[in-house]
Amino acid sequence: MVDLVWFQLLSAALFVIGLYGVMARRSAVLIVMSIELMLNAVNINLIAAASHMEGTGSFANFDGQLIAIFIITVAAAEVGLALAIILRMFRNRSTVNVDEIDLMKW
Amino acid sequence: MQWAWLIPVFCFAAAPVIVIFGKFLPTKGAFLSILAIAGGFVVFWFVFGSWLDADAATKGCFTSANTGMLSCDYERSWFNAGVIGAVGSVSLHWGILIDPLTIAMLGLVTFVALMVQIYSMAYMMGDPRFGWYFAVHSLFAASMLTLVLADNFLLLYVAWELVGICSYLLIGFWHERPAAREAAKKAFIVTRIGDVGLLVGILLIWRDVGSFSMLDAFEAVRTGAMSEGVATASAILLFLGAMGKSAQVPFHVWLPDAMEGPTPVSALIHAATMVIAGVYLVARAFPLFEAYDAVPLLIVAIVGLTTALMAATIALVSTDLKRILAYSTISHLGLMMLSLGAFGYTAAIFHLMAHGFSKALLFLGAGSVLHSTEFQETGEMGGLRKVMPLTAIVFSIGALSLGGIPVLAGFWSKDEILVAVNDNRNAAFIILTLFTALLSALYMGRAMFLVFFGELKDQNSHVHDAPLAMAIPMALLGVLALGFGFITFNWPGSFNGLGDFVFFGHAEEFHFEVWLGAVSIVLAVAAFMFAYLAYAKRSISMEATRSRFSGVLKVIENKYYFDEVYQWVVDKVVLVFSRAVAFFDRAIVNDIIVNGPADITRKFGIALRLHVTGHVYTYTLAMALGTVGLGIFVWVRSV
Amino acid sequence: MAWFVFILVAALTIGGGLGVVLSRNVVHAALALLVSLIAVAGVYLVLFAEFLALVQVLIYGGAIIIVLLFAVMLTRSSDYPRISDNKQWPLAAVAALALLGVLVPAFVINNVAGTQAQNASFTGIGESLFTTWAVPFEIASLVLLVALIGAIIIARSGPGEN
Repeated sequence: MVDLVWFQLLSAALFVIGLYGVMARRSAVLIVMSIELMLNAVNINLIAAASHMEGTGSFANFDGQLIAIFIITVAAAEVGLALAIILRMFRNRSTVNVDEIDLMKW
Repeated sequence: MQWAWLIPVFCFAAAPVIVIFGKFLPTKGAFLSILAIAGGFVVFWFVFGSWLDADAATKGCFTSANTGMLSCDYERSWFNAGVIGAVGSVSLHWGILIDPLTIAMLGLVTFVALMVQIYSMAYMMGDPRFGWYFAVHSLFAASMLTLVLADNFLLLYVAWELVGICSYLLIGFWHERPAAREAAKKAFIVTRIGDVGLLVGILLIWRDVGSFSMLDAFEAVRTGAMSEGVATASAILLFLGAMGKSAQVPFHVWLPDAMEGPTPVSALIHAATMVIAGVYLVARAFPLFEAYDAVPLLIVAIVGLTTALMAATIALVSTDLKRILAYSTISHLGLMMLSLGAFGYTAAIFHLMAHGFSKALLFLGAGSVLHSTEFQETGEMGGLRKVMPLTAIVFSIGALSLGGIPVLAGFWSKDEILVAVNDNRNAAFIILTLFTALLSALYMGRAMFLVFFGELKDQNSHVHDAPLAMAIPMALLGVLALGFGFITFNWPGSFNGLGDFVFFGHAEEFHFEVWLGAVSIVLAVAAFMFAYLAYAKRSISMEATRSRFSGVLKVIENKYYFDEVYQWVVDKVVLVFSRAVAFFDRAIVNDIIVNGPADITRKFGIALRLHVTGHVYTYTLAMALGTVGLGIFVWVRSV
Repeated sequence: MAWFVFILVAALTIGGGLGVVLSRNVVHAALALLVSLIAVAGVYLVLFAEFLALVQVLIYGGAIIIVLLFAVMLTRSSDYPRISDNKQWPLAAVAALALLGVLVPAFVINNVAGTQAQNASFTGIGESLFTTWAVPFEIASLVLLVALIGAIIIARSGPGEN
């Protein structure tokens, strides 16, 4: 069977790809997409660990899955808010390029 | 007698009331000022009376081991610094010391200040700052009274500086006039130079004795607890302060310029306050001066004699009436100092009072003349006795008194000084003193004859005599200038003479050296005769003398070039040094030490702020790198 | 068999992710994201987490991708075709690779070998969600509500705007 470590490596790879996207992309929409990739990487990690563990004490072996559900919930909320912010930004500045938005610089 | 502190308190209270509420009061509050000083004058008599009744058993009183006079000291704690009694703690007291010297000064100050204030009611009428004038007058009198009552050097110093600031305010009273402003500043700065000496002297005594109390200091001198060096040094430093205040050479330059103030102010400054403070200080601190070999007294005598001579010569050639009187004051202050320097303690105080009454009279008379004619130059006057007889009479009394004509007050006091100098200093001193006396009679006669005798000029025909409020004080002072001298005599059964009242060490009888008295009378009378012939009759022409001594005359008329020398020193030394200091301050202190760190900080800030790009991705990158760093750190630590 | 499926979905996940971060077209990127997210659901299946796979497909594959496409559509402007990375992309690549370099050894060294993926029943998840995790569940619903209201307020036109 597939060992836990492969899932973890998959998760790490996906996380790093998402991180690169956040750091390197110009469009705010693409940055939000990259954040979704990172969240999914975390979810993979959590579920893989949960599936490979015996439940101990009050923790069932699917507690990791439940946390993943919450993450998905929060991700949904975050995407909704991000869309709202992007729309407002676009309306005010006519652009969604983050490198043109530097009001907070020195 | 414990209530003597009320005397200055009346006036201290009057000053702020006049300043704040003056404009709502009748006469702008001037009557308050007069009431206050009159109250002080009344209390003075009670103090005098209770002192006469007191003996060594009275509360607070004792016979001073230094002066031999019955003294009464009442002191209270002022404030404490540190734990009482602990090492390094300071406990300050304030209190009043009443002995005959104080009583004599209190009488002089309260009486003259009262007279001058009544006179001022008429003289200053209509001045826009009428109330302010009287407020400062009150404060001036109060400060001077505190000065003579103080029983410790610290309180004396406070009063001393208050006197200085009040004279500054009054000299510069008409501060719209540039000359008045300059004169006020000059008076303040020149006296201040001496005051530094006074302060250092006081601190020197305090360091040695551990107390500001005068009695403690004198006790330390008497028992020898204070070494000769400290006693001499502190006495000389105190004398430096006295020189500034009493306008002794070379600090005399401020007094003639102080004529820019209103004339009653000059009367007050010259007769009762300010300039006599210096003489008073030397008299008060006499135990310090005469301790050990009395070296400081020799200095006092030399400075006094120099001042007396120099000022007398300038007074002789001056043409401004007020300036003649100013130089006469300087000359007589020099005589007082000389008297003190010749151990003539009684004579000095006697002359101080006699001169005070006479000079107040002269200034009030001069004020009356100026008020009426609006001239200051003696050349514009002449023959005024025809239009202002009362002023002419009182002015003449003052002039004859100061000139040393018997039996007026000035004659007796000057004679006492001559005796003291003759007894205790060598022949050179007595000859020069006699010469000064001659000059004194000569310039007084000159002023008197130039102003009141000779032909009346047409421009002065409208001149009228002094109004009543000015005449009464002049008349009262005139009586005193006439008769004050008689208190020096032993009046059998009632009064043993001034020498039995104010003395140092032992009571002094009145004594009269026949040849000295004869010489001084001859000189004085001759001088007045000469002045009459030269300036009233004009039968002796001065032109020949003038041309022969033109070189000397030029030096004297330029006041021995003191002002020029000071101006040169200020321009070439002080200002150059100041410029160097200012450059150091601007270039080193300001640009490098102060602005330097600020500059460095600013430049760092400019460089460092560049990391705030405002771009989201920069921050994300930093976060990622931080995470990597953290991971490496955890990993390395776990290995 | 499990290995074959895993490699397939892992390749699709990574490929989709790379598509998101490297694509020059924003719509292509969104589609690549969809591929990646569906593939993640496949990964969940390999882990016997059927419920999560279901949720993943519904929420990510349905709702979130739709919302993102709306974002693309509403903000489409002329510079989309030439969107690219910003100036610091090489640095970003180095930082990302460095993080990978930290994570991979960490996972490999702490490898727990020989464990078996197990099935978690729908019933167990449901029971746990409404008993042990009831309070976080309710809070999550609140978070969704707040986010909904906040999004409406932020995106709404202000009084001075058209």
